[in-house]
Amino acid sequence: MASTQDIQSAIRARAGKLLQKEVISCFIGWEAGRFEGQSSPLVVRSAADAQKLIYNDYCVQLLAKYLLTENCSEGKVGVAVRGCESRGINLALKDGQLQRENLHLVGIACQGVKDFSTKEELKKCQECTHRNPIIYDDLIGSEVTDGPRVEDTFAEVIELEALSHDERYEYWSAVFTRCIRCKACRDVCPGCTCNECFTDQAAMGWQGKQSSLAENANYGITRMFHSGERCIECGECERVCPARLPLMQINRKVLKDAYDIFGEYVVGIDDCTPNPLDTYLLEDVEEFM
Amino acid sequence: MSVDSTVQDPKQDTATAEDAKWKPKILAFTCNWCTYAGADLAGLNRMKYPADVRLLRVPCSGRVNPQFVLHAFLKGCDGVLVCGCHPGDCHYATGNYFTRRRMLLYRRFLEYFGIEPERFMVKWISGSEAGKFRDTVIEASEAVNKLGPNYKYREEGR
Ligand code: SF4
Ligand code: SF4
Repeated sequence: MASTQDIQSAIRARAGKLLQKEVISCFIGWEAGRFEGQSSPLVVRSAADAQKLIYNDYCVQLLAKYLLTENCSEGKVGVAVRGCESRGINLALKDGQLQRENLHLVGIACQGVKDFSTKEELKKCQECTHRNPIIYDDLIGSEVTDGPRVEDTFAEVIELEALSHDERYEYWSAVFTRCIRCKACRDVCPGCTCNECFTDQAAMGWQGKQSSLAENANYGITRMFHSGERCIECGECERVCPARLPLMQINRKVLKDAYDIFGEYVVGIDDCTPNPLDTYLLEDVEEFM
Repeated sequence: MSVDSTVQDPKQDTATAEDAKWKPKILAFTCNWCTYAGADLAGLNRMKYPADVRLLRVPCSGRVNPQFVLHAFLKGCDGVLVCGCHPGDCHYATGNYFTRRRMLLYRRFLEYFGIEPERFMVKWISGSEAGKFRDTVIEASEAVNKLGPNYKYREEGR
C-alpha cells in the first residue's frame, strides 16, 4: 500500500511527464489550500506547475465534476481518479458528456479521506464500496481491499420508512426548512450535467425565489429525483451542504427502491449499461392496472 | 408587547371555515390517445362521477414530468392522477413503459416525504374503458375525501 506521500510524488512525476510530452494539455488534481489540512482542485497546464499538485488524507473533493465544468477542451485531459471519480467519469461517459479518448486517467487506490478537524474518516468514505478506480490508464501503487466499513448503508432509510406519513412530513419539513438553497449540492454532483438547471429557470416557473418550505422541498425533492437512480453515492452533496442536511438519506431512498424494483446494480461500474430509468422491460413490475 | 391569547388568530378561523366548505381538488393528467378518450366516452354515456377531478390533457403519460406532480401538490391540489394507455398500447410505442418505471419510483419517493400514497394514483385506462375511468375517479375522490385537504409542503401554508 503506497503512502500518500508516495502517491503525491507519483502524481507530480506523471502529470509533469504527460504535460511535457504534450500527451495531455492539462491535468486536474489538488493543490494545498491556504490553511493546513485544506485542499482545492487545481488544473495545471505546464510541467513546472505540476509541482504544485498535492495528495494527502484531506483531498476530499471529487474531481470528476471538474472535467465537466473546467474549460479544458483543447485536447486530452489528465485527471487523478479514485474509486468515486472513476464511477463519476463512467456515468458522464455513458451520458455522452465526456469522450474516453480525450481522457488520461491516473488511478489512485484510495484509503479514504479524513476530516481535518476531527481526523476521522469521512462518512462518505466509511460507506464507500469502490475504493479502487474502476477505469484508469495507469495505476499508482497497488489496489486496496474494497468494501464499505459500514454494515448497512440503507439503515437510515429503513429507520425513516418505519415512521408514519405525518411523522415523516414533520421530519422532512424540519430538514428542508434549514436549506438555504445555495445549490452547492447540485454544483458538486457529478450526475448533474445540464447546462441550465431547472432551479435557475425562475421565469419558467420550475423554481420560485421565495424562501419557504414549499420552494425548498421543491428544490430538494426534484434535485434528487434528477440525480435519482444515477447517484454514484459519492456523498459530495452531503459533504458540501453548509446546512448539514442529511442528503444521503434522500439519495439512498431512490437507490433502495430502484434496487428493489429493478434489481441491484452499481452506477458507474461501466460506461454502457443503461440507467434504470433510461430503459424498460416489457415484464417490469406492474402496479397500475 | 404581550399577545392576548384569548384572541383567535383570524387566519385559523378562515382555515376552519374553509375546511368545512372544502371539496377535494384532484388533478388528472390524461393521455390524449386513451384516457382522455375514455373520459369523453364516460361523458357521452352520461356516467356519473364526482366533479372533484380536473382533467389536463397530455400527449402521452410519458410527458408527465414528475415535477408536475409535485407542483400540483405545492400549488394546492389534494390529489393527483396520472393516467395513460395500457402497456403495449402507447401511441408512441414505448412512452408508457418509461412512465411506469418513473412513477414506480416517484410514488415511493413522495411517500417517503410524507405525502400519502392514496393522494397520488397512476392508472392505465384505455379509450373504451369509460367505466374504469369513472371507477378510478370515484376511488380517488373517496380516498382524498377520507384524508382531507393536503397542507403538506403547500405554498400558502395552512
Ligand atoms: S446526488 Fe450526491 S452522492 Fe449522489 S452522485 Fe450527486 S453528489 Fe454524489
Ligand atoms: S447544499 Fe444544502 S443548503 Fe445548499 S442547496 Fe443543497 S441542501 Fe440546501
